[in-house]
Amino acid sequence: MDQDTAIGGFQHQFPSTQVSLLEAVSTGPSSEALDRVVALYWKPVYRYIRRKFGTNNEDAKDLTQSFFMSALERDLFARFDPLKASFRTYLRMAVERFAATQHSAANRLKRGGGAEFEPVEEQAATTESPEQIFEREWQRQLFSLALDDLKAHCEGYGKQLHFQIFEAYDLTEERPSYALLAARHGVAETVVTNYLAWARRTLRACVTSRLRGVTSGERELRKEMRLLWK
Amino acid sequence: MEVSDSILDHLRHVASLPDLTGTRYELETEIGRGGMGVVYAARDCQLGRRVAIKIVDASLAGEARIIAQLEHPAIVPIYENGVLPDDRVFYAMKLVTGRRLDLYIAGSVSLAERLRILRRVGEAVAFAHTRGVIHRDLKPQNVMVGEFGEVYVMDWGVEAVAGTAGFRAPEPALDRRSDVYSLGALLQFLLPISAPPALRAIATKAMRTDPSARYPNVPALLRDTGRFEDGLAVEAWSEPWWHRLQRFGVRNAALLWLLAAYVGVKFLLFFLRNL
Repeated sequence: MDQDTAIGGFQHQFPSTQVSLLEAVSTGPSSEALDRVVALYWKPVYRYIRRKFGTNNEDAKDLTQSFFMSALERDLFARFDPLKASFRTYLRMAVERFAATQHSAANRLKRGGGAEFEPVEEQAATTESPEQIFEREWQRQLFSLALDDLKAHCEGYGKQLHFQIFEAYDLTEERPSYALLAARHGVAETVVTNYLAWARRTLRACVTSRLRGVTSGERELRKEMRLLWK
Repeated sequence: MEVSDSILDHLRHVASLPDLTGTRYELETEIGRGGMGVVYAARDCQLGRRVAIKIVDASLAGEARIIAQLEHPAIVPIYENGVLPDDRVFYAMKLVTGRRLDLYIAGSVSLAERLRILRRVGEAVAFAHTRGVIHRDLKPQNVMVGEFGEVYVMDWGVEAVAGTAGFRAPEPALDRRSDVYSLGALLQFLLPISAPPALRAIATKAMRTDPSARYPNVPALLRDTGRFEDGLAVEAWSEPWWHRLQRFGVRNAALLWLLAAYVGVKFLLFFLRNL
């Protein structure tokens, strides 16, 4: 089965002041911009490599790690042209080129010795293309980070009940009724409605902020937002 | 925090819903998406009527405000606007009930009715041009025909709107003549297979790749379709002599019949006199 990984880390800081990626690159060290990119893109890149090249868990982790290290060395951001593509597309194409080169080099070394591939049954577990997996994981990771931000924000501002109600309703598969949630927490139903509205609104702000940190500016941000919201 | 596929889909949906707490509106369902934002059906709890609520990104609020100031019978009237807690802007407007133009003309619709709709759309676009607004995304899906035949041009575009393939002018920077192109594409879409060549020529001229070869503005295009409706020669087509003769015949049918009757009577009298 697909093994998960915690590499890439979680950032708990409320990112309300994140500037755009290009601004961060031009005003600060590249490593800071890279940290943001790694936090959001590590898992999508890792899963993309696994699916695209059929590599096992450890090889995919190594390739992902190597990609981000080389991105820093090769100054990946300097060559990004926002007029040509979104940063997300640019990064995926860079990963594809990098991983293809590395993967074929590794296979040449192992030829005759048996290069390691994902077992067939694991490969067949999904019908999604590597690109679709990359997009999906990107969305998942964006929301994961935004949820961490929301939780940290709630804890920081004494709004734990807001988060509890939000968690009980929006982060579970089986949603309880507003009446049940109100009774469980000893508040009125209107309070549940208002707290949920606040949490969703703040989550949206957290997602926007995270997205701003990895896009080139307002134009790209707006485009990504249009794709993101259902 | 780990997020499953179904929860991710749910979050993408709920986090995009507008928070109308504190307004007089109660959200119902999403009814459309356009270049500027998402439109929902909602209930105005004070007046007890249904309205449409358009949600626009804060960065587009300035352009949206200019568009909201357009007052024309073929442009959906705005009742009220406001700012949501997340800084997005909302516009409460008339909820248009009717059919989208592409669905409307799928039924049996006469050529005269098709041209009437084009004229209404063109008049709205021409009016907007006088206020410095260009549509940018004219297409059948953005035109509604109400149950009493009223026509509404929807989803007025902003700078960020890229247009729709097949209806968008080829030039990278859109201006008024780009709307002329789109209106020509709309005319082409509206024409039945058996459409007269004069109307096809009007659509072709409006859709020229070189903007300077198109009609200079929307009223010029409408004048040419008007000439066709009046049975006159159109500017876009140099018609063959036999077609001109045919058109003359159709246009002056009553006169020609009278003339024929006169000649017939004269002939009869001459014939009787010489018996």
